[in-house]
Amino acid sequence: MPNLKCKIGGILAEAVVIAVIGFAAALTANEVSPRGLALNRNYFPAGTNAAPAVPKPAPVFQNVAGTNSSTTNVPSDADDLSERLRDKGLQEIKRPQLEKLFHDPRTQEGRVIFVDARDEEHYADGHIPGAYELDPYHPENQIGTVLPVCQAAEEVIVYCTGGECEDADTAAIILRDAGLSNKKIFVYGGGFTEWHDNHLPLEAGERNSGQKPK
Amino acid sequence: MNVHQTSGAGRASEAAAVMARWLIGALFIYMGLKKAMHPVEFLKLVRQYDLVHAPFLLNAIAGGLPWFEAFCGILLLTGVAVRGTALTLVAMLVPFTWVVLQRALALQALRAIPFCAVKFDCGCGAGEVFICGKLAENGTLILLSIWLLISKFGRSFSLRPVLFPTAEG
Repeated sequence: MPNLKCKIGGILAEAVVIAVIGFAAALTANEVSPRGLALNRNYFPAGTNAAPAVPKPAPVFQNVAGTNSSTTNVPSDADDLSERLRDKGLQEIKRPQLEKLFHDPRTQEGRVIFVDARDEEHYADGHIPGAYELDPYHPENQIGTVLPVCQAAEEVIVYCTGGECEDADTAAIILRDAGLSNKKIFVYGGGFTEWHDNHLPLEAGERNSGQKPK
Repeated sequence: MNVHQTSGAGRASEAAAVMARWLIGALFIYMGLKKAMHPVEFLKLVRQYDLVHAPFLLNAIAGGLPWFEAFCGILLLTGVAVRGTALTLVAMLVPFTWVVLQRALALQALRAIPFCAVKFDCGCGAGEVFICGKLAENGTLILLSIWLLISKFGRSFSLRPVLFPTAEG
């Protein structure tokens, strides 16, 4: 019996040592990794740390190339989206208005700006022509370029994958917190998926590359 | 080789346990590194479980857990502290499988579909998967880990199977 206790104690001690050393090594690896997360940063600002509701079943959008896999193919419905944006103090813009803005001469003049809040890989695969990239998880890479352009603009449209994706909300909040007037920030809830599915113009690669997506 | 490995059945058990150890180790390294390469995606998935709200804790889990999984995988693959690692894996797999099951049940109720038709990205590192397959996979991993924990098999080709001698008696 004492031998069994000894064995169990030894195994537990091993597990504790593994947990302590393992987590220390894991957090160090996260710190060293160029893709690692900043532990003290709030990646979901404006009270959005609570998880979104369980996805609704309405299959409005389909998964397409360039969409974010983590958001699945099940977006929340329009009411949920509007409510979510309202809760964060953000304004929503729908596709018909957005299409008008896209063809508005002010867009060519830089008075209407599109901001793509997806990651670099998805942006390169395809984005709304002329859109600037602002990855809300690594804003330090692009905010220096995007913020002055947005400050000079009359309207700023931010989008991500659409549906459940909240990255556009986060990017909009980052711009707002950086001093951009909330009045000119609009979130396109339908996002890239809706734009893509409606066969609207797309561009691949860098901004204004004129390159067509594959 | 220990005495219990000298019989045919013992040798077969030992070989099977070593294979299980390597399999679990390789799987944890693969899944861990896959998540560690895309921590933001994993962060969003962890958040969906709605278990942790404090940013620091959420970030520490999403940023650290994948590397910790890979660390445990390396220990098993190389045969360091086999029982302690197996216990750690059981301690991770059981609650994780429980929360995955709970989320699957919530999705099933919402979508009104058969349980096995529920498909979602559980944050396991394999993208969207059908829940029944995932539960079977996790169940197998738990059973194999328990086997490594309670049996004396699977210690061949190990660098240091026991950290503290009392663990093996």
